[in-house]
Amino acid sequence: MIHHLLRRLALGLVTLLLISFLVYGLIRSIPGTPLTVAVAQTDPSRRLNPADLERMKAAYGLDKPWYQAYFIWLSNVARGDLGRSISRKAPVTQLIGERIGPTLALSAASMFLTWAISIPLGLYAAARSGRLDERAVSLGLYTLYSVPTFVAALALQVIFSVRAEGTAWELPLFGMTSGLPHATTLGWLADVARHAILPLICMTYVSLAWYTRFINTNLQEVLRQDYIRTARAKGAGPIRVLVHHAFRNTLIPLATLLGLSLPALLGGSVIIEQIFTWPGMGRLFFESLRERDYPTIMGLTLLFSLLTLAGQLLADFLYAWVDPRVSLE
Amino acid sequence: MNEAMADTDRRPTPARGFWAEAWARYRRMPLAMAALVFVGCLGLVALLAPAIVGTKPVVCRYKGQIYFPCLAYYSRDLEPVIFSRDKFRGEYPKNLAAKDPESWAVWPLVFQDPYRAVRADEWPGRPANPARDQGRPSRWNLMGTNQNGVDVFAKMVHGTLVALLVGFVSMGIAATIGVTVGALAGYFGGWVDVIVSRITEVVMCIPTLVLILALLAIVEKPTIWKMMTVLGLTGWPGISRLMRAEFLRLKSAEFVTAARAVGAGPGRIILRHVLPNALAPVMVPITFGIAAAILTESGLSFLGFGQPPPSASWGSLLNDARSNLRMWWLVFFPGTAIFLTVLAFNLVGEGLQKATDPRLREARK
Repeated sequence: MIHHLLRRLALGLVTLLLISFLVYGLIRSIPGTPLTVAVAQTDPSRRLNPADLERMKAAYGLDKPWYQAYFIWLSNVARGDLGRSISRKAPVTQLIGERIGPTLALSAASMFLTWAISIPLGLYAAARSGRLDERAVSLGLYTLYSVPTFVAALALQVIFSVRAEGTAWELPLFGMTSGLPHATTLGWLADVARHAILPLICMTYVSLAWYTRFINTNLQEVLRQDYIRTARAKGAGPIRVLVHHAFRNTLIPLATLLGLSLPALLGGSVIIEQIFTWPGMGRLFFESLRERDYPTIMGLTLLFSLLTLAGQLLADFLYAWVDPRVSLE
Repeated sequence: MNEAMADTDRRPTPARGFWAEAWARYRRMPLAMAALVFVGCLGLVALLAPAIVGTKPVVCRYKGQIYFPCLAYYSRDLEPVIFSRDKFRGEYPKNLAAKDPESWAVWPLVFQDPYRAVRADEWPGRPANPARDQGRPSRWNLMGTNQNGVDVFAKMVHGTLVALLVGFVSMGIAATIGVTVGALAGYFGGWVDVIVSRITEVVMCIPTLVLILALLAIVEKPTIWKMMTVLGLTGWPGISRLMRAEFLRLKSAEFVTAARAVGAGPGRIILRHVLPNALAPVMVPITFGIAAAILTESGLSFLGFGQPPPSASWGSLLNDARSNLRMWWLVFFPGTAIFLTVLAFNLVGEGLQKATDPRLREARK
């Protein structure tokens, strides 16, 4: 077990090094630097004169070739320093700290909703397998699964923000708060919740469809097993067979899914956060990519890759933990 | 009993091949068949787009010569030089009549253009396209116009070609890389496998959007072809993993040992013996991948990272809609098109899976 863990950690470290090296090289070869992009966008007349530009380049370490700059960045990271954002003039860790809350709030709520709805729905679909209502539900979910999130987001915005303008159904178009001062924490929370409804729907419906299908397929497979027939033969009722005998065995693949959803939990969704201007990690990433803010892009990439690898590791260990037949050796 | 005996006496009919067998199973699934037909129709629309909507004649006779100006929609180089020399400036109907009274032309079904707003009386009696938020669907603009007055229906029809091209070309690239890399890793094992698996893992772990956006930014002006290449270069790891697993499973099979015993080299074994047997499971993720590529392309265009305007991508219409939410038709038509296309490819993939996966077949008995 320990041996396996160490081996995985060592391999993961190599992968992380490779990824960061590759991404560093990639983003440094994108035309434009944080200095030129930001200034050119605000005001062309305020463009830096060449001498100033050189001075600032040297200050941010942009005058060195990228492979050299990469090793400087790497040695700083090894000492726990992710560097300072060039365009936002703040430490990267602080930026991530500011953005991780909104992302986590949205994704945790979405994950909770997904599990809370998809498990009963999956059980229901398995129980009514082959009947008309089950097929209608399954087809509906399958259809839902093919709706692109950005289409759904736009459609929801058109319906709830533009069409329903002035009615009780009107929901805010974007942002996390309306920006007005709130007297109480409760009022602030209610404001955030109102803003979160549309992004939450967009984040939840795809995973909901996917998880329900996943649970349903796994249940179908388990229901064909011999021990289910045994349970039925000894007189267990249909609900007891489904919940007590069958569902508990589908928890094994679900444990893997739990691990694999780790990166999405903290990484956020670029598209949804961008559409609803939700101040989360995905939006930070998108903005920093546009601003060519190398330290922030690198910090986020490192975090995302780390989460992906950790999620895979977690999935494998959870799998071995819930299923005694599986050994990691 | 007697019938069964008679059956065994009869000469066996030649066994159907794997793919004929799979096709027979596929045909029995109505939803998957409907999806396949839908994809076929999309293909037709894509290929015939310039003949369905356009402002350039499909065929015309001008100064004693036959021309096909509509080909210009496929590639600008295909526009006959004579029309630019005679200063047509893209306005065919009046110029044809004015500069050669003898001329005749066969026009597309709908006179509209996916790249520019049609002006008043460009076609006799046709009003100018309404701009800004005035362009609701009407008899002149079947699906309305966008904020610049460009016809949405024309963009939708011409965008079909873009969507399908993106799906097939990028997945073609991804499949070629994935199959090659996976096959080599699975067959040779050892250090080849170690290197390939590591690269696969690296590409899988880099957030897809970083990779795509960075690559797109590097190529600067992202034409649709560069977009396909980038999508292809980032979409192969899943296929490669599956291929590797199939090769690992098949390389110790008896027929491979037999082939090696008769003296077949590794190239022959990989291409002639293992690959045909490993192809079926890979077809499924490739089909899903086509849907994913169409989705990614429209998503990127939606975020404003697509081909710079004028482009006919469905996603670019959605991008227009972002700042014009009152114009519901800019969301409804492209949104429905993307959704139906993705759904169709997913259904085809699902059907393919059911038709080719022996495990699922066992389960259904």
